[in-house]
Amino acid sequence: MQYQAVESWGYYIPVPSSTAAGADPLERVVRLASESAVVIFSVSSCCMCHAVKRLFCGMGVNPTVYELDQDPRGREIERALMRLLGTSPAVPVVFIGGKLVGAMDRVMASHINGTLVPLLKEAGALWL
Amino acid sequence: MHDPMKTKGKANDVKRAARLVNFMAGHRVGETNLSESGPSDDNISYSVLHGLTPSPNPFINQGRSAFDFGELEEAIVLQGVKIGHDEPKAPLFTERPAATLEMIPSWPMRFQLTNRGSSRSGEESTDSGSAHLLEPESPISSIRVSTDQQAFNQKFHMQQQQPEMASDSSRTGQSENQSAAKQPPERRRGGVKSEKVRDAKILRRLAQNREAAKKSRLRKKAYVQQLELSRIKLTQLEQGVQRARAQGLILDGASGAHANISSGAAMFDMEYARWLEDDHRRRLDIGNGLQADLSDEDLRIIVDGYINHYDDIFRLRGVAAKSDVFHLFTGMWTTPAERCFLWMAGFRPSDLIKMLITQLDPLTEQQLVGIYNLKHSSQQAEEALSQGLEQLQQSLVDTIASSTVTDGMHQMAIAMGKLSNLEGFIWQADNLRQQTLHQLHRILTVRQAARCFLVIGEYYGRLRALSSLWASCPREILLNDGNSGQANSHLQMVQPQQSHIPTFFNQFPPH
Repeated sequence: MQYQAVESWGYYIPVPSSTAAGADPLERVVRLASESAVVIFSVSSCCMCHAVKRLFCGMGVNPTVYELDQDPRGREIERALMRLLGTSPAVPVVFIGGKLVGAMDRVMASHINGTLVPLLKEAGALWL
Repeated sequence: MHDPMKTKGKANDVKRAARLVNFMAGHRVGETNLSESGPSDDNISYSVLHGLTPSPNPFINQGRSAFDFGELEEAIVLQGVKIGHDEPKAPLFTERPAATLEMIPSWPMRFQLTNRGSSRSGEESTDSGSAHLLEPESPISSIRVSTDQQAFNQKFHMQQQQPEMASDSSRTGQSENQSAAKQPPERRRGGVKSEKVRDAKILRRLAQNREAAKKSRLRKKAYVQQLELSRIKLTQLEQGVQRARAQGLILDGASGAHANISSGAAMFDMEYARWLEDDHRRRLDIGNGLQADLSDEDLRIIVDGYINHYDDIFRLRGVAAKSDVFHLFTGMWTTPAERCFLWMAGFRPSDLIKMLITQLDPLTEQQLVGIYNLKHSSQQAEEALSQGLEQLQQSLVDTIASSTVTDGMHQMAIAMGKLSNLEGFIWQADNLRQQTLHQLHRILTVRQAARCFLVIGEYYGRLRALSSLWASCPREILLNDGNSGQANSHLQMVQPQQSHIPTFFNQFPPH
C-alpha cells in the first residue's frame, strides 16, 4: 500500500495502487485542490457559494469551481468536506495553492486582515 | 342599579311595541292609569325637549293609551323579559346574561320603524340619547320605564299564560307592587272586546315576533361574547406592552409601532438597550481616560474592554438571528435613522472606515496604507455578500412565483429552506464587522484606537439623536415651500431646540 503525504494537513492517507479517480472522497478533494491555484467546492444553488465566487471574481481571480450537485460522487465529497471543516453546510470551501483556507467566514477574515492577497499572489492566482 | 344602557334596552321594547301598533289597529287593551303614564310623560318631555312632534305618539293620546300599552306589552314579551339583573329567567324566555346584553347601544338601529314608528323611534332614540347624555337623570326615569315595562310584561302574561305570569311576577322584585296593581285593571278591560279573535291574531303575531326576538337575542349574545373576548385580549396586550416598556424594550420610537414582537426579538431588544447603556458608560471612561492622559497600558485595558464589548453584541446578534432573523434584518431593533442606512442588519464597515479616515488624523504612512487596504477589502467583501443576498432573494422570488396550486406547499417548504439562509448572511456580515473592528485595533496605536472608538460611538449616538429629533420636529419647518415668512418664523421657533446640538458635537472634539 502506498502512502501519499498530504502536505497541507501533515498526515498520510492511503492511496490505492490504481491511482485512478480515487475511491476516497477526501483524497479526491486533495487531488482536485492541488490541481489549480484557487479551488472552490460549491453547490450551484447555494447563495453563499455565489457570494464567495463573486468575491474572487471581484478581486480579479479566476477560481476553479467544482459544483458538487453536478458531480456524480458529489455527495461523498460533501460529506468528506463536512467532516473536514466540522461545520454545516459543507460548502463553500476554498483551497488556495492546494492549502485549505476554509469556509466563507475564514476567507473574509483573511481578506480583512490582509493575508488573503499575499496567499493569492503566492499561488499565482493574482498578479500586481 | 340601572344604567343608561338599560334605558336603551327599554327603548327597544317601546319601538317593538310601536311596530305592533301598525298591525293591530283597533285593539284596545284598556285605558291608561296614572302609573302607566309615567314613561309616556318622560317620552313627551324628551320629545318636546328635542323639538319632535309626538302627535302619532300613542303614549300621549290618553284615550288610546290602553291600546298602546297592550302592544307595548306584546313587544316587551317578544323582545324578551327584562325582569331584573339578578333574577332567574322566566321559562318563556331564553336565558341570557341580562347585564351585558343590555349594554349594546347600537342595537336600537335595527328596529327602525315606519313613519309612525319612526317618529316614535326618533323619540326613542332621543330617549336613549337623552338617557345617554343626561346620565344623572336617567337612572330615575329608566327605573320607571323598566319597571313599567316589566309591569307590562306581567300584564300580558297574565292574559296569555297565567301560571307563568304568576311565577314571573313573583320573581320580579322591584315591579311586584306595580304589576300586582296593574294586572286586575288590564284583565277587566280585556273582557269587553272580541277576545278570541284578538287572541288568535295576538298568538300568531306573538309566535312570529318570538322567533325574530330569539334570533336577535342569539346574535346579540354572539356579538357580546366576541366583544368580551376582544376586551380580554386587549387588556392582556396592554399589560404586555406595559411590562415591555417597564423593561425598556420599547426604545425611543424604535419598535414602538410594532405590536407583535416575538420573545427572541424582545429579548434582543432588551439586551441591546443594556448594551447601549454599557456602551455609553465605556465611552465616557475612554473619554475621561484620554483627557486624564492615562498611560498606554491603562488605556489599552479600557480599549481592549471596548473591543470585547463589541464582540458581545455580535454574539448576542448571532443568538437573535437564530430565533428571529426578520427582527434583526428589518432593523426593528434600531432607530429609524439608523434603519435608513442599514446594510445586512447592521452598519456597513466601509462606510465606517470612510468616516474614520477623516477623523483619525494624524496617521502614519503605514497606517494610512493599512486603513485604505482595509477599506478596499471591506468593500469587496461587502459587495460579494450583497450579491449573494441578491441571488438568495431572486431564488426565493422564483420559488414563490413558480408554485402552482398542486405543489404550493412543497414550494413553500423549499422557500422556507431558502429563507433560512438569511441567518447565514447576517452572521457573515457581523463577522465582517467584527473583523474590521479588530483590524482597526491592530493598525492603530492605543490612543488612536481609543479616539477611533469614541468617534464611532459618537457617530451612532448622533444618528439616534437625529431619529428622536426628527420624530419630535414639526415637518413644516423642513418643507420650505411658498410662505417663506412662515418658514422663517418656524425656524426661529426651532432655534432653541437646535441650540443643544453644537454642544453635543463638541463633547469629544476630534482634535
